[in-house]
Amino acid sequence: MSTELSAGHVFQARVTLAQRWEQACFWLFRGATYLVLLCGAVVFLNIFVKGSRTVFQPTAPFINTAFFTESPESLHVFVWQGKKMEMGDREHRAFVAQHPEAAKIKTEDYVYSAGGIFPCIVGTVLLVVGSMTIALVLGVSAAVYLNEYARDGTFIRFVRLAILNLAGVPSIVFGLFGFGMFVLFFDWNVSLIAGWFTLAFMVLPVIITASEESLKAVPKGFREGSLALGATKWQTIRKNVLPYALPGILTSSILGIARVAGETAPIMFTAAYVVRDKLPWDVDKFSDFFFQGVMALPYHIYVVSSKIPQNEYTERVQYGTAFVFLLIVALIATTSIVLRNHLRNRYKW
Amino acid sequence: MTTEPVPEFPAPMKRFFDAELESFRSNLILMGETAASQVRSAIKALVESNTSLADQVIAADDEIDQLEIKIDEEAMRYMNLRAPVASELRLVIVGMKASHDLERVGDEATSIAKRAVRLSAELPLKPYVDIPRMANIALEMLRDALDCFLNGDTEKALAVCRRDAEVDSINKQLYRELTSFMIEKPGTISRAIELMFISKSLERIADHATNIAEEMIYLAKGRDVRHTDEVKKNGGVG
Amino acid sequence: MVTASTLMETRSPAPNLRPTLPAAEAGRPAAPAAPAGQILIDIDHVDFFYGASQALHDINLKVEDKKVTAFIGPSGCGKSTLLRCLNRMNDLIDGTRVARGSIKIRGIDIHRRDVDVIELRKRVGMVFQKSNPFPKSIYENITYGLRLQGVSNKARLDEIVEKSLRGAALWDEVKDRLHASGLGLSGGQQQRLCIARAIAVEPEVILMDEPCSALDPIATAKVEELIHELKTRFTIVIVTHNMQQAARCSDKTAFFYMGRLIEYADTQTIFMNPGNPQTEAYVSGRFG
Repeated sequence: MSTELSAGHVFQARVTLAQRWEQACFWLFRGATYLVLLCGAVVFLNIFVKGSRTVFQPTAPFINTAFFTESPESLHVFVWQGKKMEMGDREHRAFVAQHPEAAKIKTEDYVYSAGGIFPCIVGTVLLVVGSMTIALVLGVSAAVYLNEYARDGTFIRFVRLAILNLAGVPSIVFGLFGFGMFVLFFDWNVSLIAGWFTLAFMVLPVIITASEESLKAVPKGFREGSLALGATKWQTIRKNVLPYALPGILTSSILGIARVAGETAPIMFTAAYVVRDKLPWDVDKFSDFFFQGVMALPYHIYVVSSKIPQNEYTERVQYGTAFVFLLIVALIATTSIVLRNHLRNRYKW
Repeated sequence: MTTEPVPEFPAPMKRFFDAELESFRSNLILMGETAASQVRSAIKALVESNTSLADQVIAADDEIDQLEIKIDEEAMRYMNLRAPVASELRLVIVGMKASHDLERVGDEATSIAKRAVRLSAELPLKPYVDIPRMANIALEMLRDALDCFLNGDTEKALAVCRRDAEVDSINKQLYRELTSFMIEKPGTISRAIELMFISKSLERIADHATNIAEEMIYLAKGRDVRHTDEVKKNGGVG
Repeated sequence: MVTASTLMETRSPAPNLRPTLPAAEAGRPAAPAAPAGQILIDIDHVDFFYGASQALHDINLKVEDKKVTAFIGPSGCGKSTLLRCLNRMNDLIDGTRVARGSIKIRGIDIHRRDVDVIELRKRVGMVFQKSNPFPKSIYENITYGLRLQGVSNKARLDEIVEKSLRGAALWDEVKDRLHASGLGLSGGQQQRLCIARAIAVEPEVILMDEPCSALDPIATAKVEELIHELKTRFTIVIVTHNMQQAARCSDKTAFFYMGRLIEYADTQTIFMNPGNPQTEAYVSGRFG
């Protein structure tokens, strides 16, 4: 019997069990992916919508600059001449000075619900910059040693295992370690420098692993070519390996930045204050700069979300802070990506 | 849409061993010239009964032999180390074969010279007319074959192949003539035999010239014309 | 393995390899060398190990000055290993050692403790199988080695760049884009750039590890042409899998098999009339 008569042709499509599974799996995977997207969108939109009420305003300049430039204050709510008034601490004091009779009016006070988050922004930026500097110096050095100099042996395998384990340590344990080590043992108290080192140690495994990968990705030929021209090992690494590994290292440090900026646990014992009136550069002598605690965005969110009585006024500062926080992380990451792309275009192979 | 410009083919690259090929070619030319002049001198020695010229020819044969060895060496070295292909490969192979032919031409010239020495002791059997004529034709054939090597003129080379019959017929004619001499006057036998051999030598030289011409056609065209109608056409007598 | 610290220690008493003439030491069998060309590199009974496995067995070979010496043999026969011994690139691999014998360049054992490997590599340049121009400009590629040596005079650098590029038959092709990336060049040009980079530091010897294995025939021919020109100024040792290449560019050829030197002779002898049946089998492609 010819195939033409029976079933069309040899490649005739038929619905089989395998094809049904094919369809089912396809939709399962597709659905899962869309679900993730949905979750992400809900989280971001939620923060964006609620946070933008604080960050943006309907009148020019459309951005609530005070939120960025002022310190947190208590919110005073009271009734004045039949009107309900909401005022920050400073505003209220000025108001009272103007209307002495207002001093007698009973106010409801809500801590941190007014003012801005300027000290937190500053603190977070300082923490990120400091800890990433330490982490990159230590991490890249270690990666260079492990990848370029060290000979494979028991010791190196042990070091790699230690790095792997370090990556798995929960951040709260780092916080505790920093507290014990830097705050108590080194007697640095709750300070920027204690926070820097604690955070640096936390991201170190990420940086080392990623830097090592980047170094490995640099072709062996560049090293051999350089050595064959009579370069020393360090000259080779400095001139002909590290520059090409830098984009990769920076990519990894973007991840590090997001972690450093976001973690609350490591800094809550080591570097963060609930509230501090003085700004970090407001110090008597230079060395004091390193030994002062700072406010930080993640810790501030934690404080305003769980450490103070919740009411209708706290949401403003909670979501506002979270929104700003996301913006800052995005900004730092974007800068790194731009820098990385710039370097990557310079060194291509 | 404009038409795509035809990509320009790059000029042939110079290679460091091009000089070896040049030397090979000039050695072959030199060998051809030498062989031809040997034949010319040998015939001249015969006609003029010039024994010293004949001795010179005999002595100079070594030169041709050395050239053959040199050409062979160069060819083998070139094939060994330079892996020639296409026209270069043909050149090297043809060069080796042609040098062998030319060496034989040299040998024939020597043989003529030796006979010229022996004949010079006796009176000539008859005036030398046919033998110089034959020699001229053979030398022209040789020259044309070498010209083809120099400038790739295959028409000339084909003509060489066709002229071979002319020499053959003169040779046959001389053979008959000399045979009748010998029958008539047995006293001429030794001289007649020498002359027969000289005639035969010239016929062989023409054959070698034909071979060389065929080789040069192969070099230029990459086509083997040996034993084809192409070279036998207009073959004429014989 | 040479670490930075050991280099520091051996830096100061770097022996000058250049002025010493090849030592015809007493008590040593006379070199069976051709009258032309003095012995530059004397490889004497060398055994070489990668960890526990022996890669070279009792290699005896004398490389002549200003000649091209080709190393041929099937993969894994040790020819590249020997080549990399000559500028101690094997030092970069853990667990390698020359267990016996010596490699002398102008009479100086390059594995001696007081030999500065950095100095050695300046004198013995190398071109690799995979062309490895640095992802820098052509100009920077050439000046890389010179800058390491502290040459910073712009006029002098310019001069050497031009001289090296001309020496590598690359000048005319790249003179208008010296500051473009070396990676923008074609494969053959890249390899010639690597050669230019190597000759910029004026070595005595250039080692070439299958320099044409990734190139097309035209680029290969250009590199071979270049090799022929370079041998007036440099001694060249070339490892190649391409038999024709060995035949075309080398003066002497060494055939290796299983870590042993099977035959070493004039290239023409190796290819026309090899003394060893294994050599014959290999060069005629009837191996194994």
